[in-house]
Amino acid sequence: MSTVVTKEIIHVTDRCKSCDHCTSVCPTGAIKGRLGEKHYIDHKKCVNCGQCLINCPFGAIVDMSMAEQVKKALADPSKVVVVQTAPAVRVALGEEFGLEPGANVKGKMFAALRRLGFDKVYDTEFAADLTIMEEGTELIHRIFAHVGVPGYEKSGPLPQFTSCCPAWIKYAEDRYPKILPHISSAKSPQQMFGAVAKTYAAQKLNVNPADMYVVSIMPCTAKKYECQREEMIASGFQDVDAVLTTRELAQMIKDAGINFLSLPDEKADRLIGSSTGAATIFGVTGGVMEAALRTAYEILSGQSLGNVEFKTVRGRKPIREATVNIPIKELGKTVPVNVCIVSGLKYVNEVIEDVLAGRSKYHFIEVMNCPGGCINGGGQPIRRDTY
Amino acid sequence: MNIFVERGGITRRQFFKGTGIIAATAVFAGILGKIGIDIFKASDKYIEKRIAGLYTLDERMTIRKSHENPEIIQIYKEFLSPGEVKPLTEKSHHLLHTKYGSEIPELIKELEAHRHHAA
Repeated sequence: MSTVVTKEIIHVTDRCKSCDHCTSVCPTGAIKGRLGEKHYIDHKKCVNCGQCLINCPFGAIVDMSMAEQVKKALADPSKVVVVQTAPAVRVALGEEFGLEPGANVKGKMFAALRRLGFDKVYDTEFAADLTIMEEGTELIHRIFAHVGVPGYEKSGPLPQFTSCCPAWIKYAEDRYPKILPHISSAKSPQQMFGAVAKTYAAQKLNVNPADMYVVSIMPCTAKKYECQREEMIASGFQDVDAVLTTRELAQMIKDAGINFLSLPDEKADRLIGSSTGAATIFGVTGGVMEAALRTAYEILSGQSLGNVEFKTVRGRKPIREATVNIPIKELGKTVPVNVCIVSGLKYVNEVIEDVLAGRSKYHFIEVMNCPGGCINGGGQPIRRDTY
Repeated sequence: MNIFVERGGITRRQFFKGTGIIAATAVFAGILGKIGIDIFKASDKYIEKRIAGLYTLDERMTIRKSHENPEIIQIYKEFLSPGEVKPLTEKSHHLLHTKYGSEIPELIKELEAHRHHAA
C-alpha cells in the first residue's frame, strides 16, 4: 500500500569540493563538515528544500528520485496514472529546452504529459483554489472568534500561518512546536489534490482508487518528503504516490524523444483541472496571501473587488507587511487586517518569536522557504548565469 | 635590481620603484579577485523573470478569484457539502485538513479506523 521510498531526500555526493557555499544558503544549518572535508547532511535538521542543491557550484548535491516508480506505473496497463502540475513549473520548464526564464509553456507541458502516457492530466492550481476556499474560510472564522462573533469560539488563534510549504511545516514541527496551533490546518494543494483525486475523481471516472496512481510535477524537493508523510492517507490510500521535479520531467521528455518546442498548446482535463489567476500566483512569494485576500475580501464584505491586484504584498524583500482594510458585513464596520509575508526560512524566527511573546500585530502570515517563492524551488532548472 | 640588497640603504629612486611594483600588484590582484567573485556569485535575474511570468499568466486568466472557479463550485455542491458551497464541513476536514507534530499519531489512528470502517 505505502510507496514510501525514503524520507531522506537531499544527499551530498563524492563530487563535494568542501567549498562551504551550501552552508551559507542552508536555512536550518543542516549541512555539516569543516572547510576542506566532504560535507554531509543532518537529516534531522534538513527541511528538504534543496536550496543547497540548486546553489552548489559543483553540482555535487542530489535529490532522491522517484522517476523509476513513475515509469513503472506508466508502463502498467492496470494503473490509471493521474498527474498534477504546480504553478511554478510552467514558467521554468521551458528553460530546459532553451527558452528564457518566465516563458509560459503551460500548454506544451500538458501536451508533453499526455504524450508521456499519463491517463489524466490535471492541475495543482485547481487544488490551490480549493486551498484558498478552506484556508480562507478558516482565517475568516479565526478573525470572527478574535472579534467576538458568537459561534466561532472553537476556532484557532491568530495570527494564522499558511501551510502550503512543506519545508516550513517541517521546520515549525522541529523547532517551534508551540507555534503549530497557529498554522492553518488546511493541507497543501498537492495533498488536497491527491485526497480528492482518489475519492471524488475516482468516483466520477469510475476508477477503483486502488488502481489509481497520482503523480505530482513540482518545483520542489520537499514535496517528495510531504507526499510520503504517514498521515497523508485520507483517501484510504497514499494520497500522492510520487513526485517528480521540473528537472526530472524535462529529462523524461528528452528521454522519450519528444520535441517539446514543436508541441501544440493543449489544455488540462476537466473535473479537477480548471484554475484561476489566484491559483497561478501561488508559486510566487506573496501569492498565497494575495489569492487569500481576493477571496476573503469578497466573502467578508459581500462586495465585488474592482481591482483584484494587491500590489502591496508583492516584491522580493524577505519580510514584507501590509494592512488591508476590509469592510466586514457581519460586523457592520471596517477592520484593518494586518498581513506579513516571509520569503526565506532564515527570516521567520523573529516573526515567530513575536507571535509567541504576544507582540505580533499580524492576523495572517505567509511563509515560504525559498527566496522568491516556489519559482526558485529546489526542484527547478539549475541556473549558473553570472552577472 | 638591487632593491633588496642592504648596502647603506636604498636610493629614493629604488624606493619608488619598489612601492610602484607593490601598488601595481595590489591593483591587479584586486581586479582578478573581483572577476573571480563575479564568476562565483550567480545572477538571480532568472527569479525576477519567473515571477513576472506567473503574474503575466494571472493577468491573462479570465477568472482570477478562487471562489469563482466553476469546478470548485461543482466539487462543493456535488461532493464536499452536497447542495451548497460550504468549506470546513466534516468531509472537508477529513480529506483536506491535517494535524501537525505530536498530534499526528492520533490522526493516523483516526484515518486508519475510517479506512477499515469504509472497507
